[in-house]
Amino acid sequence: MLSFIGRSLIQKTITLFFVSVVSFLIIHLAPGEPSQVDPLNPKFTPEMVERFQKAFHLDRALHVQYLYFYRDFFTGKTVSWKDNQSVVVKIWERFLNSLPLFIVGTIITWTLSFPVGIRAAIFRGGLYDRSTTFFSYLLISIPGFFFAYILIIFVVNHFHVPVIGMETFGLGEASWWHVVMDRVWHLLLPSVLGATGGIAVLSRYVRSQMLEVEGQDYIRTARAKGLSPDQVHYKHALRNALLPFVTMFGLILPGLIGGSVIIESIFSWPGMGRMAYEAILARDYPVILTVNFISAVLVLAGTFVSDLLYLVVDPRIRL
Amino acid sequence: MSVRRVLIFVPIAVIIFLLQSYFWVPTYEEQTRGNPSRLNEYITASIGDASLLNPILSADSASSDIESMVFEGLIDRDEDLNFRGRLAKSWEIYEEAFFYINRYADIPGIGMARGGAVVQFLQSALSEDFEALPRLRVSLNNIKEIMLLPSCEYSVTRQEKAPGEGQGKTNIKINVHAPSRIKLVLKSVDQDLFKNLRLLLGKDYFTSFVAKEHIEIDRKAYQKKSAKYAKQILPATEHNPVVLFHLRGGVKFHDGHPFDARDVKFTFEAIMDPKNLSPRIADYEPVKGVEIIDPLTVKIVYKRLYSPALGTWGMGVLPEHLLNEEVLAAEAVSLGKNHEDFSIRQSSFNRHPVGCGPFFFQEWKSDQYIVLDRFEDYWEGTPNYKRYTYRIVPDLLTQEMEFYAGTVDSYSVQPHQVKRLSADSKYQSFSGLSFGYTYIGYNMRRAPFDDSRVRTALGMAIDVDKIIKYVLYGQGERITGPFVKQTDYYNDNIEPLPYDPDGALRLLREAGWIRNEDGWLEKDGNRLQFTLITNNGNNLRKAVLAIAQDAWRHIGIDVRTDLLEWSVFIQERVNTGDFDALILGWSMGIEPDLYQIWHSSQTNSHQLNFVGFKDQKADDLIVRIRQEYDHDRQVAYCRRLHEIIAREQPYMFLYVTKWTAVLDRRIVIAEKVADGRLSYKKITPTKTGNYTFFFNKWTKLAEVPSFAAEG
Repeated sequence: MLSFIGRSLIQKTITLFFVSVVSFLIIHLAPGEPSQVDPLNPKFTPEMVERFQKAFHLDRALHVQYLYFYRDFFTGKTVSWKDNQSVVVKIWERFLNSLPLFIVGTIITWTLSFPVGIRAAIFRGGLYDRSTTFFSYLLISIPGFFFAYILIIFVVNHFHVPVIGMETFGLGEASWWHVVMDRVWHLLLPSVLGATGGIAVLSRYVRSQMLEVEGQDYIRTARAKGLSPDQVHYKHALRNALLPFVTMFGLILPGLIGGSVIIESIFSWPGMGRMAYEAILARDYPVILTVNFISAVLVLAGTFVSDLLYLVVDPRIRL
Repeated sequence: MSVRRVLIFVPIAVIIFLLQSYFWVPTYEEQTRGNPSRLNEYITASIGDASLLNPILSADSASSDIESMVFEGLIDRDEDLNFRGRLAKSWEIYEEAFFYINRYADIPGIGMARGGAVVQFLQSALSEDFEALPRLRVSLNNIKEIMLLPSCEYSVTRQEKAPGEGQGKTNIKINVHAPSRIKLVLKSVDQDLFKNLRLLLGKDYFTSFVAKEHIEIDRKAYQKKSAKYAKQILPATEHNPVVLFHLRGGVKFHDGHPFDARDVKFTFEAIMDPKNLSPRIADYEPVKGVEIIDPLTVKIVYKRLYSPALGTWGMGVLPEHLLNEEVLAAEAVSLGKNHEDFSIRQSSFNRHPVGCGPFFFQEWKSDQYIVLDRFEDYWEGTPNYKRYTYRIVPDLLTQEMEFYAGTVDSYSVQPHQVKRLSADSKYQSFSGLSFGYTYIGYNMRRAPFDDSRVRTALGMAIDVDKIIKYVLYGQGERITGPFVKQTDYYNDNIEPLPYDPDGALRLLREAGWIRNEDGWLEKDGNRLQFTLITNNGNNLRKAVLAIAQDAWRHIGIDVRTDLLEWSVFIQERVNTGDFDALILGWSMGIEPDLYQIWHSSQTNSHQLNFVGFKDQKADDLIVRIRQEYDHDRQVAYCRRLHEIIAREQPYMFLYVTKWTAVLDRRIVIAEKVADGRLSYKKITPTKTGNYTFFFNKWTKLAEVPSFAAEG
C-alpha cells in the first residue's frame, strides 16, 4: 500500500514535469504576442516592443524563460501581465466564484443521473427507456450556448426576474435570507445548464452498467432465491454497478478549475473558465501557465484519489 | 428508508430547494421602479473588464472609459472636434528656432559674416519690404525676436557597441566647440522659416554648414562616425515649437489635494520613465522638456516640429502627491517588495485611481462591475447623476436582455437590430459614423498590383453599395480616403469608385490584360491570378472576402482566398509583406498624421505601410501635415493628400461602419436656465463619435418627457 503511494507519487511528479514543459512549449511556440504589444498600432515603435519583451523576459531563450516562470511560480511572485495582480490571488478569487457553480452542478448531475439511469435499465426497451434515450441524445447534441439563450429569454420574458451574474445587481439592502436565496436563484440556471450534458452522459453510463450487472449469474441467483425485485435491483445489482463510478468521481476534480467558458460568459459569471479564456486571448502567459499547472495537478490528484477509492470499495483489488 | 426512496427523494428535494429561491428574488420591476435611487444612477455595460485604471499605462477601451470619468486632461475636443481647455484654461503655441553661424558661407550683400553681423543683417531685413519675395516677407513678419547665443564648449558622451562580437558597450567622449548660434523667437510655428531665410542668407547657408569640424572624438576607432555624431549634436537648423499652458486655478483632486503644474510635469515624467513601460511613450518622445514657470503655467518645448503633439495633452493628469518616489518606496516597503523594481505599474493606485475628473472611484469587482460616484467639487460643476456604474457583461445577448429589463441604461445595437430598435418608441436611439474603415490593400511590390490601372479596375468591379446594404444592413457609408469622414481633413469632393465591371475590363485591357477563350484574363500567356486573404474571426471581412472573390471572378480574374488566424495573419503575412491582397481595417484618431501608414520610409517588414505605397508628392505632404500647426493649411494639405491616395488606389477603400446605441427615453440633458429652473433638452450625438459628450448634464426623469415637435 505504502509502496504504491510512493511509486505513484514519483510517477506523478515526473508526469507533472513533462506536462509543465510541454504546456510551456505549446503556449510559447504558438503564434501571437501579449496583448500589451500591439504591432498594428502606429504609436507602437520597435523600441517599445523590445522594452516590453525585455520586461516580460520574452527576449530570453525558452529554457531561461521556463526557469524564470517556475522560479516566480514557486515563490508565489507570478503576476498577470494584464493588470499586474498576483496570479495566485486572482485564481483564488475566481476559484471561490466557480466553486458553488461546480458544487451545485455536480449535485444535480449525480443525484439525477442515477434514478433516471436505473429506471431505464430496469424497464429496458420500454417507453420510459426510449424516451430517456431520446432526451439524452437531444441534450448531448443541443449546443450549450443555444440552450442557455433560450432559457434566459424564456425566464426573463415570463418571470421578469434577473438571471445573470452571481447576484441580483443593485440588490441594495436586503435581509440575509433574501441575499442567500438570491444567490441560490442565480446559481440555478447556469448550474442546470452545466449539468444537462453531464446528466445525459452519466445516466447513459448508469443504464449500461446496470444492464451489464443485471445480466450476471449472481443476479439470477438472487432472483431465484425469491428476493423482492427492489432488493435485487438496489442491493445486489446497484452496488456492483457503482464500482466504475468511484473512479469517475475522482476525475471530476479537474472540473473544479476548468469551469465552463461558455456558461460563465453568457451568465456574466466571474469564474475561472472565463478568466482562463480571456487570458488565452490576451496571451497572458503567467495566468495561462498557472491555470494549466494547477489543472494538471488536479488531474493527477484526481486519478490518485480514484485509485485509492477503488482500493477501498473493491476488496478484490490489491495493490 | 430503502435505497430506492432515497434515490428518488434526494433529487426532488434538491430541485425543489433550488426552484423555491425564485420567490425571494426581486423582479426587474421592483429593481428599477421600486428603487428611487435608481434614477440617480447610470448603469452601462461593457464586454470586457478594465485592466489598469491609470491613463498612462492602459490601452484598452474599458480602462479608458473609466479613466475618462475619473481623470481629466489639460485639453480635450469639443463637440465640433476643436480643442478646448479643461485643466488648462488657455494655451499659446509659438516657436523658438535656432541656426548655427556658418562662417564660410557667403551672404549676399555682406559676404562672410560672424554672429553679430548676421544678427544686424537680419534685424535690418525685418524692416525692409521684399515685394518680389512674399513668402520671405511672411516668415520675417513672424519673427518676434532675434538673439545671438555665444559660442561655447562642452563635452557629451555617447554609448556605442564595442567593436567585435561582444555585447559590451563603450563610452565615447566627444568634445564639442559649438560655434555661436542665432535664436529666433517666432510668433507662430513656421515650418518654412529656413527655406525662406535661404532667400536672404544664400541658398547654401544652412546646407554648407560643416558640423564635423566643431567636434573631437577621443577614440580613433570611431572617427569614421564623426560626421554622423556632428549632425546629431550640432544640427545646422533646429525648430523648437513651444506650448505654453495656463492652468486652471482652484482645481482639486478627489482627495482634496490641489492640482498644479507639478502634476503635469510628473505625468510627463512618469510616461517617459522606462520602468513604467508606458504604451504612450511615442506620443511624448518629441518633447524636449517640461518646465514649470509658476504653479499655474507649464512650458513644453519640443525637439522638432510635430503638430499632433497638442492633442496628446488630452491625457489624464496623475496626482504627483500619490505616486512620487517616496510614496512608491513606502508602498514597496509595506508590501515587502524591492523598491528598486517597484514602479507605478505595480502600485495599488491602478486599482484605486484618484484624478480630478467628474466622478471619483468607489469600487471595482473584477469581471463584475466598477462603481464611480460623482465628485461634488468638480471644477465645471457637479454632474447630475450621483453614480456611474460600469457593469461587465461579456455576452451581447445578455446585455440586450438586461437593457430591456432596465438594469442597464444603454445598449450598443448590432447592425441587424438597428431597424427594429430605432423604431421602438420606448427608447431613444443615436447613430453616427465610427472612426475606422475597412479596405482591401494591394501589395504594390508585386505584379499586377504595381499598375494603378489594375488597382482601379479591381475596385470598380466590386459593388460596395451592395456590401453596405446586405452585409452591414445599411449601417455603413462609403469612404474614399484615409481620414476620419466627419472631420474637415476628409475631402468630400472625391467621388467613390463607381461600380462598373465593363469599365474595369476596359482599364485592364489598357494595362494589357485580355480575356482568353475560357474567359480568364491573360497577359503574355499568364493568367491574372492572386490570393486574397484576411483574418479568421471577423465575419464582416469574411463576407467581403467572398463577395470580392465572386465579383473578380465575374470579370475573369482567378482569385483564391484564404482565412488565417489573427496572429499568423499578422506575423507571417502582414509583417513580412508576404501577400497579394488583403482585407483589413484601420481605426483612426482625429489627428491627420499618416506617417506610419503611408510614408515611403515605412515600407520595410514589420512596418505599417505594408502595401508598399511610395509616392514622392504624398511623402512631402505627409511630412508637411505633421509639421504644420495651422489648422487651415493642414486641412488644405490633407485634402490634396487624400486626392493623391484616392487616385493611386493603393487600397480599395470600402466602407466606414455606423454605430447605433439605444437609451432609455427618460434620460435627457438638464441645464439650469437663468432663473434657476431646469430646462430639458434631448440628447444628440456629437462629432466626437458618441452621444455621451454631455454626460455630466444628463439626468433621468421619472416620466418620459415630451418635447416640442422637432425633426
